[in-house]
Amino acid sequence: MFRFKNRQSIVNVAGVKFGGQPGELATVLCGTIFYQGHRIVENEEIGLFDHAAAERLVARQAELSEDTGCPAVLHIYARTHQAFLRYLDFAEEVWGGPFIIDSADSDTRARAASTVSELGYGDRAIYNSISLATGEAEAQAVSESEIDSAILLAYNPGEPGVEGALRILETGGSVLEKGLIPLARELGIVNLLIDPGVVPMGSGAGASLRFSVVAKARLGLPVGSGIHNAVSAWPWLCKKEIGIRKCCDAAAAAMQLLSAGDYLLYGPIENSDFIFPAAALADILVAEAVRDLDIHPGEGHPLNRLV
Amino acid sequence: MTQEGSNFKRGYEDPWPPVRGDYLVGNPNAGVAVATLASPLFVRAGSDLPPYMGAAIYGQCKTENLGVEKIVANVISNINIRYLIISGVESKGHLPGNTLLALHRNGIDEQGRIIGSKGAIPFIQNLQPDAIRRFQRQVELIDCIGLEDMEEIERLVSRYNLLAEPYPEEPFLVVRRKAVLQEILMGEGDLFFGANVFMDTRAWQIAITG
Repeated sequence: MFRFKNRQSIVNVAGVKFGGQPGELATVLCGTIFYQGHRIVENEEIGLFDHAAAERLVARQAELSEDTGCPAVLHIYARTHQAFLRYLDFAEEVWGGPFIIDSADSDTRARAASTVSELGYGDRAIYNSISLATGEAEAQAVSESEIDSAILLAYNPGEPGVEGALRILETGGSVLEKGLIPLARELGIVNLLIDPGVVPMGSGAGASLRFSVVAKARLGLPVGSGIHNAVSAWPWLCKKEIGIRKCCDAAAAAMQLLSAGDYLLYGPIENSDFIFPAAALADILVAEAVRDLDIHPGEGHPLNRLV
Repeated sequence: MTQEGSNFKRGYEDPWPPVRGDYLVGNPNAGVAVATLASPLFVRAGSDLPPYMGAAIYGQCKTENLGVEKIVANVISNINIRYLIISGVESKGHLPGNTLLALHRNGIDEQGRIIGSKGAIPFIQNLQPDAIRRFQRQVELIDCIGLEDMEEIERLVSRYNLLAEPYPEEPFLVVRRKAVLQEILMGEGDLFFGANVFMDTRAWQIAITG
């Protein structure tokens, strides 16, 4: 519902555009597959999974993307490199768009960066993430890879809050020798996607909403978040029925988009059924709100497709 | 900030535990706490729970920062707890079990980084140094990382309960630090709503020009 004075850059990853002024582009929605505890995964160490079920999930996300106009990204989580290789084979068969490579294990992330480069997918891959946890070996692997898109995780446990998150991006604050933005540039990352690193509610989850506005104003880069993590980590909500949990997930997603979010790491890809409509609704309302501020959504925007 | 209570006859202050999380409370007068790391052993066992739950608290710990903080806060607020059994499988990449052991052995540095942890982002941000020192003094860690046999864990709980005597100090209550109030100054507007209305995003204040 506002316009930034600073220029807002738009990055293009394999044809999917992130960023711009609020209301200009549709929100990019990234659904996670093969995440920890995903029912379709039979063995997360070696990457055995129900191929047909996975294919249905990816197809459903693509269908909803086509229907609403919100671009989709496949967020691939792997516990090990062996598992990642199987997941990448699968993605190659069923998905032609950009994908995120992610793991809790830095060695798995680093090897994934090398693998996608060797196979010629460097321009489709988004590295998740460059952060405080990025060590020398991982940084070297990213630098030597052909990946030029990455999520920068601005989580700063040494200085929680909006200011601390900005500091770790710009200067490294009290915990890093240099900021994540200059570090990413040094590693050859061209397309920078900013993520505040959403913590549980009670620990400061709400700060990610203000962070996205402030970060766009200060940096002019695309900003998003995994606001879903705040919802899923709320013990009170976990005891409620599934319909209530979905409503809260959709509400959190819409709140992030109202706070200038350009992309959403919306959690389990199964959630696409309600996240895409919620995001499209938020995109339409935001685009209508800024219509008088000389911001014009493109042809594929939900405003021009669904109403 | 610390609140040293004056009359904790039970060894803890109701309601206990003070910090919410994904855990089960057993017998708060027991001398043992159980962390099951990434294994949802007791929390989701439901009717499969062993007939005797002898520990004060059972819970998972999946993260090397906020999860570890919650364990420390809940353990030191109950002086009956003298042993922390670390069981279950590690959360890959995060390594909260390794981090708990490192915190207990080495403490934190000036930035809050847990010295010697191999976890991804091992930082303490909500606990004061006194709370860490109290954790180091009050409890002994029993390293059973990898153990998922609930009956074996219960046997360990019974064994260490027999050894436990209440810690001879008041419960240590970790109180959330209040944010320091800062004067918010209006700067140059960098976010525009139109109609001469602008917002300064550092101050998060809306104003009208002219």
